Amino acid sequence: MVLLQVEKLEVVYHQVLTAVQGVSLAVRQGQIVALLGTNGAGKTTTLRAVSGFIGLDDARVTAGRILYRGEDIHGLPPHAVARRGVVLVPERDKVFESLTVLENLEVARRCPHQEARRLYDLVFTFFPQLAAVRHRQAGYLSGGERQMLAIASALLCRPQLLLVDELSLGLAPRLVQALMAQLQAIRRELDLTVLLVEQNAAAALAVADYGYVMENGRVVLDGEPSRLRAHPDIREFYLGHGEQQTRRSYRDVKQYRRRRRWYG
Amino acid sequence: MAYASGYFKTSYGAELALVETRLQWAALAALGLGLGLFPLLASPFALDLANQVLLAVIGAVALMLLTGYAGQISLGHAGLLAAGAFTTGILAEEAGAPFWLTVPASGAVGAVLGLVFGLPSLRLKGLYLAVSTLALHFIVAFLGSEYETRHGFSTGILLDSPRLGPVVLDDARLWYGLLLAVAAAVFLFSRNLLRTRTGRAWIALRDRDVVAAALGIPVAAAKLSAFVVSSVLTALAGCLFAYYRGFVSIEAFSLFTTIEYVAMLIIGGLGSLLGAVLGAVFVVTFPYLIDLAVDLLPVPARLSTYVFAVKYAAFGLIMLLFLLLEPEGLLGIWRRVRDYFVLWPFRYRPLAGRS
Amino acid sequence: MQLVVNTLVLAATYALIACGYVLVYRVSRVLNLAHGELMMLGGYLLLTTASLFAGRPLLAVAVALLLSLGLGLLVYVVLMRHFTGESVLAAVLVTIALGILLRGLAILLWTAQLQYPLVALGWQNPALSLGGGAVISAAGLLTLAAVAVVYGGLLLFLRYTPWGIRMRAAGENPLLAAQRGVALPQVLALAWGLATLSGGLAGMLLACDSGIDGTAVIVGLKAFPVALVGGLDSLSGALVGALLVAAAEVLAIAYLDPLVSDVVPFFVLLAMLLLRPWGLFGRREAFERV
Repeated sequence: MVLLQVEKLEVVYHQVLTAVQGVSLAVRQGQIVALLGTNGAGKTTTLRAVSGFIGLDDARVTAGRILYRGEDIHGLPPHAVARRGVVLVPERDKVFESLTVLENLEVARRCPHQEARRLYDLVFTFFPQLAAVRHRQAGYLSGGERQMLAIASALLCRPQLLLVDELSLGLAPRLVQALMAQLQAIRRELDLTVLLVEQNAAAALAVADYGYVMENGRVVLDGEPSRLRAHPDIREFYLGHGEQQTRRSYRDVKQYRRRRRWYG
Repeated sequence: MAYASGYFKTSYGAELALVETRLQWAALAALGLGLGLFPLLASPFALDLANQVLLAVIGAVALMLLTGYAGQISLGHAGLLAAGAFTTGILAEEAGAPFWLTVPASGAVGAVLGLVFGLPSLRLKGLYLAVSTLALHFIVAFLGSEYETRHGFSTGILLDSPRLGPVVLDDARLWYGLLLAVAAAVFLFSRNLLRTRTGRAWIALRDRDVVAAALGIPVAAAKLSAFVVSSVLTALAGCLFAYYRGFVSIEAFSLFTTIEYVAMLIIGGLGSLLGAVLGAVFVVTFPYLIDLAVDLLPVPARLSTYVFAVKYAAFGLIMLLFLLLEPEGLLGIWRRVRDYFVLWPFRYRPLAGRS
Repeated sequence: MQLVVNTLVLAATYALIACGYVLVYRVSRVLNLAHGELMMLGGYLLLTTASLFAGRPLLAVAVALLLSLGLGLLVYVVLMRHFTGESVLAAVLVTIALGILLRGLAILLWTAQLQYPLVALGWQNPALSLGGGAVISAAGLLTLAAVAVVYGGLLLFLRYTPWGIRMRAAGENPLLAAQRGVALPQVLALAWGLATLSGGLAGMLLACDSGIDGTAVIVGLKAFPVALVGGLDSLSGALVGALLVAAAEVLAIAYLDPLVSDVVPFFVLLAMLLLRPWGLFGRREAFERV
């Protein structure tokens, strides 16, 4: 079943700049879907549109629909989106620094105590490090602990669809691997669906069931991870396995657009 | 958007020109003619109103430079006006100083106070800066009232009409001429200042101070210069205000006066000298409109006994409405109307979607 | 001795008003310059309910408090809701404009004369002797008690209740709070309601002690240096700031000149802004973000 369906989404910033130009995505129940692309490809904008934060930077959805379980959730206030089970783990400022770890979790809780206790236990079994620092202010946590806390507090919202923005940002590669594995385990345990927005294509494709690649506000490729990994452009521009050992960007290649179209 | 077809800028000089097209020259000439003929036709009441507007224009342009262009929020404007007025009053009263001495003295006091008001801005931003200028306002007001009570002017200081050479400025028409000249000079000075390095530094400062610093703009000097220039102009306005009224009292420079000036910027449109002028016209004439409305409409007796309260409430309401509905102020309305006619019969529609 | 009592009572009044500034600032980063007017309206509301429910003073007080709470909610829903995320200047100007509007309306509704709600309530305000020659008015004593109750309640509320934690979270990072399912409009409305409630309570006590007219606004304005001195985002800071400012003011009246009293808070404020602009107990990071 398709949980989240984005149809021909268009987002315009400041009434002039079209950041997302007709993006369509589908996230099926139980999958981990990766949305890949470099800076400025429109990934985060797409994610913001889904989580209801689009109005903040003078951005507007000018066309398209965002359907969650068949309901158009565009235009709902962010907290209403979160309460429907679409929960974001943001890229930056992902914890309340002046609150303790427990209070951070408490902010997100909106279920009765018994249910909450079960969730707390679950979170602390997944992230035992957090249990040790539960009374510490979140501002004093390390980057990895913050990311864990961010995921943990998102889980307290009892999400069905977890949107994760740049899980790997600023973290050591080993930690990224561990967190990705953790995410897979959580997904299985809670029957979650995950939309993973990443620049780190290798890490994301390792856990994903399906992937989309965005460039300049458009989806240019999509497919199973194995198929994406095998694609020469992905190998060269996103995974860094180019035949000539040069680190080029896709923007440097004239033929690129044409090749891509044949492929699609 | 271009407002004349076939008009292209072909030299750097054209880029800098203040008046660009013949139509603008014509409009300017018409405006000058209208302003010149006004005192010959207007009633004494209208002339007094016009003089008040011109005084407010000077003050509003000064505040616009500081808040609208340099981005430094000040809630101490009335304090600076009071400083200019009191310098004039004290000098004239104690030393019998003539007009040509009190005016530069007020300017000098304004410059010093501008430095004092500006010093907190080196450390504070936004809200905190506004609050510090507010505190300074109260302190200046306190010093003023202290002077009044200590020296036995508890009702205020009386001033004689100033002499300019052989002319005694005691006629509303003469005042109109003087104030119009000063206001025009201040407007032109500000307009030119904004095209210089200093003016551009202020605008950069307003938009993003960190980037301005990175671009090599001496942020501290630019902030202080904004405060000093604005304060000098404000103190001059205060000095002229004192002479025009013939009377100096701290009562005239309450927090409400500051708010009126800030309201001029908001209602006129922040970040534009023309906006400051429009705002000054609106805010000064507004209470008289209320008077008129109370006189004409059948209102309950309580409203007419407390007309000042009606003015208060209406002023607050109009400010709220502008903030809520038209953040670009009168200037925004003017621009939309102009664009409508320039583009007619087509319409300019920005890229916008649902919601 | 009398000086100490005076300081305490004045500090209590300031603290009660200042916590409204702090609450609103902490949650929405807006300095509410209409707080003085909202406080004054609290006093006037008591005046009206006292004559409406003549003979049942407790009911009158309760209804006035409820109306105060409602007033705060109303201000948020009608007005401030539209300025979430707008610039600091715009939001502060809105509160200034609101203040002017309310001041005008208050005079139109209740006239400009000094009035005493105590008379309508049928209560007395006796001066109680504390020994050592010091006296305290009953209303002053009540103010001290009110501060203890309000601050104790608020600190517990913010520390331990879900709504309090949500309020703190929303104050620190409204975006993240919304993503965690916190309904910002409700939290903000609650903050405005509580701020106006405590301010209204201060206004009522002030009105009982010394009557109410338009000058009550000045007391409200003098209380905002208190909030800044303590640190705009710190409740306990407001208590200390209130003591500091009140002590300075009482000493200045006693030893310098009664006329100085109106500017002393602003002198203290300026000194604080120059030395430690984020206040005694404020967080430096919160200040840098402005």
